[in-house]
Amino acid sequence: MAQRDGGGYDPNGDGRLQAEFVERWRTNAYGCFSSGHKFCREVCPVMQVTRNENHTPTAFHANIVAMDKGLVDVADVADDFVHCTQCGACELRCPNTLFTGDFYRHRTRTVDVVKAMRALMVATGNEREGYKLWNERLAEAHSEPVLGDVPVSQEHVADWAHGLDIPVGGETILFVDCEAAFYRTSYTRAFAQLLQRAGVAFGLMREQWCCGGPAAEMGYADLARTHAEHNVADWRAVGAKRIIAPDPHDYIAFTEDYPSYFGESYDFDIVLGVELVNDLVKEGRIALSEPVQRTATYHDPCRLNKRKGVHAAPRELLRAIPGLELKDVDHVTQWSYCSGGGGGLPVEKPEITAEISRRRVARAQALEVDALISACPWSERPLTQAGAEAEQPLEVLDLFELLAQSAGIEVGGHTHVGERATT
Amino acid sequence: MTVAFKSAIDDAVIEELRTILGDEDRVLPNTSSRVNRTRVPAPFPVHRWADHMPDVAVLPKTAEEVAGVVRLANRLGIPIVPRAGGTGLSDGAVPLRGGIVVDVKLMNRIHELDLVDRTVTVGPGINMLKLNEELRPHGVFYPDDPASYPCSLVGGRIGTGGWSLLGARFGHVRDNVISMEVVLPTGEIVEIGDGGGRKLRKSSTAFNLKQLFTGHQGTLGICTEATLELAPRPELEFAAFFAFEDYLSAWRTTGAIACSGLATLAGVVLFDEWKLAYLRRDDEAYIPQPESVKAVVAVALYGTRAEVEPAAKIVMRLGRADGGRYLGDEISAGDWASRHDRYATPLHGRNLDGQAVIMSWHCEDAALNYSVLPQVREEWHAIVAHYRERYGIFDDWGMFAYTNGPHKPWADYLVEVDVGIWEERLDEEGWRGWVACKREISEVTLRYGGSITACHGATREGDAELVPQEMGSAWQVVKAIKRALDPNNVMNPGKQMLDEAYE
Repeated sequence: MAQRDGGGYDPNGDGRLQAEFVERWRTNAYGCFSSGHKFCREVCPVMQVTRNENHTPTAFHANIVAMDKGLVDVADVADDFVHCTQCGACELRCPNTLFTGDFYRHRTRTVDVVKAMRALMVATGNEREGYKLWNERLAEAHSEPVLGDVPVSQEHVADWAHGLDIPVGGETILFVDCEAAFYRTSYTRAFAQLLQRAGVAFGLMREQWCCGGPAAEMGYADLARTHAEHNVADWRAVGAKRIIAPDPHDYIAFTEDYPSYFGESYDFDIVLGVELVNDLVKEGRIALSEPVQRTATYHDPCRLNKRKGVHAAPRELLRAIPGLELKDVDHVTQWSYCSGGGGGLPVEKPEITAEISRRRVARAQALEVDALISACPWSERPLTQAGAEAEQPLEVLDLFELLAQSAGIEVGGHTHVGERATT
Repeated sequence: MTVAFKSAIDDAVIEELRTILGDEDRVLPNTSSRVNRTRVPAPFPVHRWADHMPDVAVLPKTAEEVAGVVRLANRLGIPIVPRAGGTGLSDGAVPLRGGIVVDVKLMNRIHELDLVDRTVTVGPGINMLKLNEELRPHGVFYPDDPASYPCSLVGGRIGTGGWSLLGARFGHVRDNVISMEVVLPTGEIVEIGDGGGRKLRKSSTAFNLKQLFTGHQGTLGICTEATLELAPRPELEFAAFFAFEDYLSAWRTTGAIACSGLATLAGVVLFDEWKLAYLRRDDEAYIPQPESVKAVVAVALYGTRAEVEPAAKIVMRLGRADGGRYLGDEISAGDWASRHDRYATPLHGRNLDGQAVIMSWHCEDAALNYSVLPQVREEWHAIVAHYRERYGIFDDWGMFAYTNGPHKPWADYLVEVDVGIWEERLDEEGWRGWVACKREISEVTLRYGGSITACHGATREGDAELVPQEMGSAWQVVKAIKRALDPNNVMNPGKQMLDEAYE
């Protein structure tokens, strides 16, 4: 049973963890609480669907002030903090950050607050069932349970590469996201073959575990770190210097989570797939000569556009594909777009993910296009499903797959596995 | 005396609410749902947060559901508080006696777009920026443009009688809401307009009820649908900012431009030297300006190219005629474009030692005539300076005066003094100091023939007790209306001294 002792809930009854959490995040919370502008709300993909004030970034911060005042404890707000895709739109739209952040070296941190609160939920026995099960299975298989009830395993983690003759090890390692290794293998096959076409030398890991990013997003900090330590050890064992991350989620883990774990000793050159391919195309090392006769719009994946400010390279690539007519929506407008596929939302709240994707597909359809192109396998699963279920179905394509097609590459692999996989 | 009281809503009431809404997930008696529907951005007695918590929040989707909830509340004498965006700068959506918060955010659909008779009919939970995104392809827009444009919702704008930055050209909320559907405090659903006719802008039939149901601060009912104006999207938007070395020159220039007769004039804004000092704490637009700049006048024109281009020449002439210096295209266009975000950041707070501390923003607004602005400005700053010195948790963030008259901007102004409040240090003594400061500011307003609020609402302690004084001989009419429409005082009770209607 939850106990209140003035310091909040804690299984040991001393409230220490909650008090530490409040201490860590109080000033950040007051920055939002005192502003009260709430400009973040209407760009929040979850809020746009649920319209529930509990699910707003402002509520996340207000809850910390309320915790400080002894009004709520972790158990009271645990469900609220599940309602977030960690897309980062709220942080971009925060007037504190936009207008005075540079001067005060202040950036409202909401994604980190959500991650920290979820970690506190785990630490205080307030786990969500879906997250718990998902992470238990991750701990067993070391790959995410992206195929639902169909087991994933280390034995099959490189099956996607069948026939591509990719070596193991080397100075440059291609890290393959679990979703792309097991579910949408065409994504990774397309990417790997684009690199091969350009003559880029790379290898695979000896034993690739999940990057740990999603575990960290759900609050399973120790599990995330265990996976990070394994992967870094594997990289070091083969003398890797450069890690290529085609998947934006992995790129976040490698550039934000890993440095926080390992400090200065973490000296790998992390390369974002879409930027690498764009460089290769611009250098003429990948020729895009096959026309792709489609009229399409581009979905800015949140972790590229909102979290990392990467929106130019994908557009340059799309414009380099002959025959493709791009009906573009600017990347700032897309701050309020999302697939709903990130931050563990589909694990606990699949119906909200589905609705976010349904709305994203509907926006694309309003442009009278015949395809929606993304560059993130995590977004492509719910978007593809929403596209298929729409009254007028809309095809969801992947940028690398499309580039491979234009480069005359037979990609192979699959874009989905059976029915929608759940945990 | 009939006064709805802070009630203990029991399980039977919760169960009945669930039956009315037919959805357990939209009846929220849990702690976090209540905590997060307690406050608005206005300064809040954070040390007494729990005193203001509602007992339950409901998220209706239809007028029938709202009516069912209101009938239940009216039958049992449970306080009911409407809440839209919860972005108000006064206490309209803050429960004073617990009860049921009716949160209308899920009622955010566009019901009808009529491009022939130029109206759009929406639910009260829709945001203006989102609405205008949908209207843009049709060449029209809904011209309600408050500082909270990216986040406030149509229902709250109606409840507070909101003011728009473009009001001089396009009018304010009361001018741009053509008609509405309202659930009365007794639960009836009624259509409210100028007279009858859902899409008519002017009528002389019976009473003009629309104005009664605009700006009542949730004390007369809950808007469940609104039919709004569609204005042609302006072909051209022009902004010009002029710097002055003294306030009076800037004030005279403001008056000259407001009286210019230019039909495309969307608004004139006068910044005083305290506001510039606040913005100079770090603002790209003003740090480079010399210290001799003591006031700024901002002007915006909206309309067709054929109108705006010649009007801009007149504005440029008037802006410079009394010592004004044009601040350039970049500042003018950029600052106007960022008008929703720029003017109140908590990070600019400074304590008595000049150290940066995070403060919340209170915007104390009043409606005042042009002639009294210089005197009121001096008295207001003196009041804030006194309380700042005495309590150490307040900070003067300067004053703005904005043209206030809809379509006739020449003679009255929305005047605001922005005050930073260090909420992290707020205790009961500080809160009492704040309320006293606010009351003194409002007393000055009344002494100069003003109204204690142009747009936020006089719902907060410090303002509220002055409402009967401001209304004077009309106060008895106000009380009679309140009593007639809300016989059990369930609708947002305790606000604006309306309890006096039941004495």
